[in-house]
Amino acid sequence: MVRRGQAWGRWLLVLTLVLGAAGALAQQPPRAPRPQLATGVAFAPDGRLWLTGLDAQGRLFVQSAPAQDLQAWSAPRLLDTTGDVIAADGENRPKLAFGPHGQVVLSYTQPRARPYTGWIRMLRSMDGGQSFSAPFTVHADRQEITHRFESIAFDAQGVLHTVWIDKRDLEAAPKTGKKSSYRGAAIYRNESRDGGASFGPDTKVADHSCECCRIALAPGADGQLRALWRHVFEPNVRDHAFAALASGAPVLRASFDGWQVDACPHHGPGLALADDGGFHAVWFGIRQEQGEDVAAVRYTRLNADGSPHLHTVRELPDEAAEHADVLAAGARVAVVWRSVEGARSTLRAWLSNDGGQTFRLQVLAQVQGDNDHPRLAQQGERMVVVWRTTQEVQVHELHF
Amino acid sequence: MNCISDSDQGVSRRRLLAAALALPGVCASNQALAQHHHAQTAIKTVADFDAAVWQRLLREGPRPAAYVFTTTYCSTCPAVFELLHDMLRAAKARAELAAVVMDAQGERALVHAHHYRGVTRLYAFNGFEPEIRHAVDPKWRNVTPYVVLLDRQGRDQRVIGPPDAARLKAWLA
Repeated sequence: MVRRGQAWGRWLLVLTLVLGAAGALAQQPPRAPRPQLATGVAFAPDGRLWLTGLDAQGRLFVQSAPAQDLQAWSAPRLLDTTGDVIAADGENRPKLAFGPHGQVVLSYTQPRARPYTGWIRMLRSMDGGQSFSAPFTVHADRQEITHRFESIAFDAQGVLHTVWIDKRDLEAAPKTGKKSSYRGAAIYRNESRDGGASFGPDTKVADHSCECCRIALAPGADGQLRALWRHVFEPNVRDHAFAALASGAPVLRASFDGWQVDACPHHGPGLALADDGGFHAVWFGIRQEQGEDVAAVRYTRLNADGSPHLHTVRELPDEAAEHADVLAAGARVAVVWRSVEGARSTLRAWLSNDGGQTFRLQVLAQVQGDNDHPRLAQQGERMVVVWRTTQEVQVHELHF
Repeated sequence: MNCISDSDQGVSRRRLLAAALALPGVCASNQALAQHHHAQTAIKTVADFDAAVWQRLLREGPRPAAYVFTTTYCSTCPAVFELLHDMLRAAKARAELAAVVMDAQGERALVHAHHYRGVTRLYAFNGFEPEIRHAVDPKWRNVTPYVVLLDRQGRDQRVIGPPDAARLKAWLA
């Protein structure tokens, strides 16, 4: 028995060494987890600036800063999302919107187990954000397919609109081999007339949207919301389409880059109401100019129906510009973007006092390392840019 | 009687050793993850990708090679792998066909490997995505698939979306 015990001891020693060696092989240098910095920002009716995002552990939080000192962020407050995984990277991000009667809604895309799938989830507050409901799914369709890249906003009547990219039509379309006969995805929406307590049916805004770009929303002069998104026009042109969020509203083409590509730009547009009832728009695209592919973020003016003033199209003065967004108040227009060169990221603003006829360029900040796209918020004449980095949340007030 | 015979001991030791080596956390957990999701994929490991890795691959990586930069949300990307895989089969050619996943880190990229037909190696960005992308091509604005074709001499062709027939022919010439 003693000899057997010694033999076992030797085996255990060998086993320990093998396990240790295998464990050492498995233990590569630890990777720093990639920060998920994508955030949503909005002004509350009382002038506080709110932000929502994920913390280092992937937990949803909100924090806010008082109107008189937008740098004085409150401590992050964690929200219970019942274990939802939340997309918060690039153009996927949590968002929040304030309604007219103390309602606050907070939305995000919850990736599902199958690739390219997601559900749009929402938390709702009826007390100005002091407390939030458990998350619930916004759309009626519960297939495990794409419902992603949602945008949310209240219109002037206090109706909450949710708009998203949806692949139910692609899934239902006949296939040629493994390939669907359906071009791109679709834009769907619904409405809530009680601040997110209940929702109307899912309705289609347009067939054939691009699959993974954010949707821009802005109120028109009538207070009704308009949407601008990257579309897949026949045969395979990834330009932009515009529509009012109303039953039967026509879909108009808003950009004419003519970019034919089987690819995912992951680079959605920006939209803001202009003082003449039209719109300011920014978008990324590649167009042929003198035989060359020219990639750029471009700005243009749109008519009230979404058709472009083609003579107003111009490139932003930064060939590295990415994920630009736009705000406007009267004749003041702000186009803001990030550009990355090596380890350095630069936040730039292009500011106009004459309705977008002329602009001046301003560098707002530079940082090293991970950072989010710039997020814009507006309350009346007040416009701010919020930029989250791994170190801090910067707030830049725009002065014209 | 708790004692076991020598012969029993041998069998039990081998079983114990085999079981120990199969313990999660000892074997690469990414392998288990990939097998759990899609047993058919041959890719069981993922390598980190950053600017230094890219420079090394350009300098001394396999030839010919295709690097398809992709994202987990890119539904147009799998078609490029099918195109390249079918082209290689038709030409009876061998080449590195690497997927470089930009938005999933480490083992998380493995669950998407089954979308990448014919893929021979899987990389995942490790670091700030725009910074790595800038190192690959300063003019590339994260449109995917972004394809780099390296021919036998290491000359590169870069294209957004599926490469056309002329580029593919030049790649394997």
